[in-house]
Amino acid sequence: MSKLNVTDIQGFTLRGYNLPFARYLFLHFAEDPKHTRALLHELLGRITTGQCWDNGKPSSTLNIALSHRGLAALKLPAATLLTFPVEFQEGMKARSEILGDTGINAPKNWDEMWHSGHVHAWVAINGQTPADIDACHAELTDLIEKTGGARELGHQDAAAIVVDGGASTIEHFGYTDGFGNPDYVGVDRKSQPGHGKLAKDGKSWEPLATGELLLGYADEAGELPVAPMPHLLASNGTFMVYRKLKQNVAAFRAYIDHEAKFYTGGKAKLEAKFIGRWKDGTPLELSPNYENQAIVKDPDQSTNFTYSGDPEGTRCPMGAHLRRVNPRDSFGFKGGLVNRRRITRRGLPYGRYVPDGQPVSDTEDRGIVFMVLNASISRQFEFVQQQWIEYGNDNHLGNDKDPLLGNHGGHGKFAIQGDATAANPPMICSKLPNFVELKGGEYFFLPSITALGMLAMDLVDPR
Amino acid sequence: MPNQSGSLYGLTILSPIIDDESATPSHDLQIREYLANLPTDCKGPFALAPYTHLTRLAVMDDVIYVGMPSSEEHLKFKYLIWEANFDGDLDRYLVALAKTVPDQINAIWSHCVGYPGTANLDKFLTYMKSCQLETTFYFAAVNDKSLTQTLTALQTQRAVADFIAKHRGTPAPELQREFLKFSARLKAMPTPLPAAVSHPRGIKTGGRNE
Repeated sequence: MSKLNVTDIQGFTLRGYNLPFARYLFLHFAEDPKHTRALLHELLGRITTGQCWDNGKPSSTLNIALSHRGLAALKLPAATLLTFPVEFQEGMKARSEILGDTGINAPKNWDEMWHSGHVHAWVAINGQTPADIDACHAELTDLIEKTGGARELGHQDAAAIVVDGGASTIEHFGYTDGFGNPDYVGVDRKSQPGHGKLAKDGKSWEPLATGELLLGYADEAGELPVAPMPHLLASNGTFMVYRKLKQNVAAFRAYIDHEAKFYTGGKAKLEAKFIGRWKDGTPLELSPNYENQAIVKDPDQSTNFTYSGDPEGTRCPMGAHLRRVNPRDSFGFKGGLVNRRRITRRGLPYGRYVPDGQPVSDTEDRGIVFMVLNASISRQFEFVQQQWIEYGNDNHLGNDKDPLLGNHGGHGKFAIQGDATAANPPMICSKLPNFVELKGGEYFFLPSITALGMLAMDLVDPR
Repeated sequence: MPNQSGSLYGLTILSPIIDDESATPSHDLQIREYLANLPTDCKGPFALAPYTHLTRLAVMDDVIYVGMPSSEEHLKFKYLIWEANFDGDLDRYLVALAKTVPDQINAIWSHCVGYPGTANLDKFLTYMKSCQLETTFYFAAVNDKSLTQTLTALQTQRAVADFIAKHRGTPAPELQREFLKFSARLKAMPTPLPAAVSHPRGIKTGGRNE
């Protein structure tokens, strides 16, 4: 396969737009699917595809994904609805115990909108300015009113955090984010070493199989991912996980300040050990003792590292966030054990940013809208969430969870491996609280343009 | 030898299940029911008996015809599949099971063709070995530690981490005193039971999740 038909794939699937503002709208479809189909028909020509932007970025983009309940509301044939993967049919709320979304993260503590289970569709507007977002939203509202196809249950605004007057890639804890999404065969994007999978030589990198991202293509096992019938409905589509993650910045800063008193490596290094990168984005693996913008700014370096030279985790701890969610070659076999567990991430922060040193309260809602794209939610996202974020066995860390994302409930533990020097001491952080709380989310199907047309024109026929 | 990875043994056994039309429910269903209700915690037979790191029992009804160009084939029997990773020697392992949990082993295998029971150890061993398949591509995540060593290591890892967290900032002489006490206490601790839950996990894994 040489090239994908990018005009048939939603742009959101193929690339992060890097637009500073976003609004995620949640729709409940009309009782009569005829009206919803009319709405989808209106949207069809407006959806942003993966086509190249030869004339620069547009002022705004529009994308859509549907929950299983949404597809059912469109009255798709049962023979199609039943062929979707089980986890997608069940939805994220029903999977909460499998995901470790319990205690404070349990669905009963989610935002009101998610309680009913009535979310049928996610519509994403990304834009250059808030006015661009409003304009696109107003247009959508007009279409909704004109067709009577849905009602808006609510929406979530998100925006890049502004630093020194410009949009940045930092998140609320202050870490620079958004370095490494995987490369896939056929997906045309600016590639850099470290983005795909390790090649057989254990050093160079190559793209993952297309079927790890898109339905209808062979995956890393040479198989077609489980996909709904008919094939045309699935092909060029993907599954999306939406999670609203509230960040308890006050709790995080207080915890780090307290622990730093006991850590002779210094506060900045302690913060780096949590995530695996210094706050400016320098990977610990490449620069264990100081931030280095030369590395961060060099695409040949910023994601180009492995863990085989650091089997004890003395540079990047075994339990650091980065090493957990993409263990690279941590488990041996030149990374072969992780190639079917990779996910593509999208997202933007939401809420008011409070710079370090200024008073901040966790009663104010701020965090990140975190979205995952993958061909198999259970094999990819759910595995990463269950085994690598909420458990530590693969890294020989027993029951320890991801220090930053783990659902610790005040009982978490994070072991920082070190050496005999005062600059890099070992450390056990205990009584970790939840620095991140789940406030809602759902599993969605992000269809191709063809599939969206089939939905709009009532052409889904599994026979 | 492919059955061995380091100090671990990878056992694969296929035992034909009795095909008796007059049995209701059928023998394979009776095995399925028994297995489905076996405890998976420290009361499970493979936790009560020594040496097992990991084990799995399943019933294989038949090979499935997936369409052309494969040819349609069927098994003569339904099979009980038993896979286990355990410490060391096969004879020692089977004998330990036969002696520690004979009731459970007999309850499972009594539905299998030609099974002699555990009472006569020689016959039991001969039977199991005649059902054995050579394990190929055998992979053990940790293949140089015994079950006891692994359980003790996990216990030590947890205890040391707790000790460090609890005694941070303690002056050196007091820390040493505390550590010596802790060390003696740790040494005296009994080996944790296999499959025992040390910390409840707020997460559902394995079994019937999917």
